[in-house]
Amino acid sequence: MFKQPTLDIFDSNEEALIESAYTKKVSVPVYVPQYQKPSVYELFDHMKSMQMIKRINESSVSAEDKKFLIYAAQRHIIFNFSKIADYYAHSNAEMQDLMEKSALVIVDFDKAIENGFATLNNELSNAYLDEQNG
Amino acid sequence: MDNFCVFILTHARPDRVFTYKTLREKGYTGKIYLVLDDEDKTHSEYIKTYINEVLTFSKNEVAKTFDIGDNFTDKRAVVYARNAVFELAKGIGCKYFMVLDDDYTDFRWSFTNERKYVTNKYVNNLDKVFAIMLKFYKATPFTSICMAQGGDFIGGAGSGLSKTYLDGQISRKVMNSFLCSTDRPFQFVGRINEDVNAYCSFGFRGHLFMTVAQLRLEQKQTQSNAGGLTDIYLNYGTYVKSFYTILYNPSSVKIRQMGQSNKRLHHSINWDTTVPKIISEKFKKYGATQAPMQSEAIT
Repeated sequence: MFKQPTLDIFDSNEEALIESAYTKKVSVPVYVPQYQKPSVYELFDHMKSMQMIKRINESSVSAEDKKFLIYAAQRHIIFNFSKIADYYAHSNAEMQDLMEKSALVIVDFDKAIENGFATLNNELSNAYLDEQNG
Repeated sequence: MDNFCVFILTHARPDRVFTYKTLREKGYTGKIYLVLDDEDKTHSEYIKTYINEVLTFSKNEVAKTFDIGDNFTDKRAVVYARNAVFELAKGIGCKYFMVLDDDYTDFRWSFTNERKYVTNKYVNNLDKVFAIMLKFYKATPFTSICMAQGGDFIGGAGSGLSKTYLDGQISRKVMNSFLCSTDRPFQFVGRINEDVNAYCSFGFRGHLFMTVAQLRLEQKQTQSNAGGLTDIYLNYGTYVKSFYTILYNPSSVKIRQMGQSNKRLHHSINWDTTVPKIISEKFKKYGATQAPMQSEAIT
């Protein structure tokens, strides 16, 4: 019987990954990178796309069709953004710059998000209080 | 807030635009525009009631601007209106706008200041709440933010969104209500599940979205308010709906069985493989010639 291929990252680790996505019990929504730099090969899983590309290359479709299908197969590469953020933190300035330009991490420049989030919470708390007391 | 307005997306139910009444009752005094498509047969009835608070867009023209995701011909979908509002906002000179559906019956607080989950605390000063949201939005690089929906809290204090909020995290979703700006455009894609498709596919490329969990809107029960999108959802169900998101995000979204007694298939998003992390600037290294730079991938 045909068995659907599984994506290991979903089936074994999904819950754990979601649970560990952000540091717990902090009041700012930023990810804290790990101390250890991961291997670059931990940042993505391209097994499925490689399988597709192999099949495309072995097929008899035209060269143009192959080119298109190979581009499309990249959509199946799984990127692990926790590991990517860890990798970013331990990379040099040039690599970091390229990663930012590719939006592989979102850098909270001038603490805009951190401070904005704190202000949002405070002001909503005050508005809530005003309404409850009003 | 002169350059701010609220858009209510509506179709074929001129006598049931619940959101308009709710906004006024809950203290919103600013501009409201009802957004209608040019194929709405009840257009004149809307005009009769809302006079100069109606804006109309061409469905066929908007259809040329985004990917519908299939080759069906049925145009009963809200995605056209969602994509029309950016141009409509420019036309009336509103840089900032909140996009709402037409079936809201209430706005409530989700948590007390002691972070206790609640359902019976009502928002009564929407002017103030919208101003607070807008202040946050202007100060941060978010592409769009929204209020939570009552349905996000199924499970109460144990719901996913509740736990996310209480853990000090943010939900990177935007659904149903969208605070947007004409200078932070993004597109809704796919005939249905267009909001999920948008925050997944644009989130994947570095756009920031967030649900403000402290605030929630309440809607008429799904599929009980005739007209609008009800028919398309009854026809297609959540089964087909969920697959649109797979089309756009095959590497990070899958279909999974949900529910206990009423089992159904639904999309399941692996957030760790869908959106880039937000990290502090203290982890950035600056070279001799480099200045801080935001992502150029965000378009």
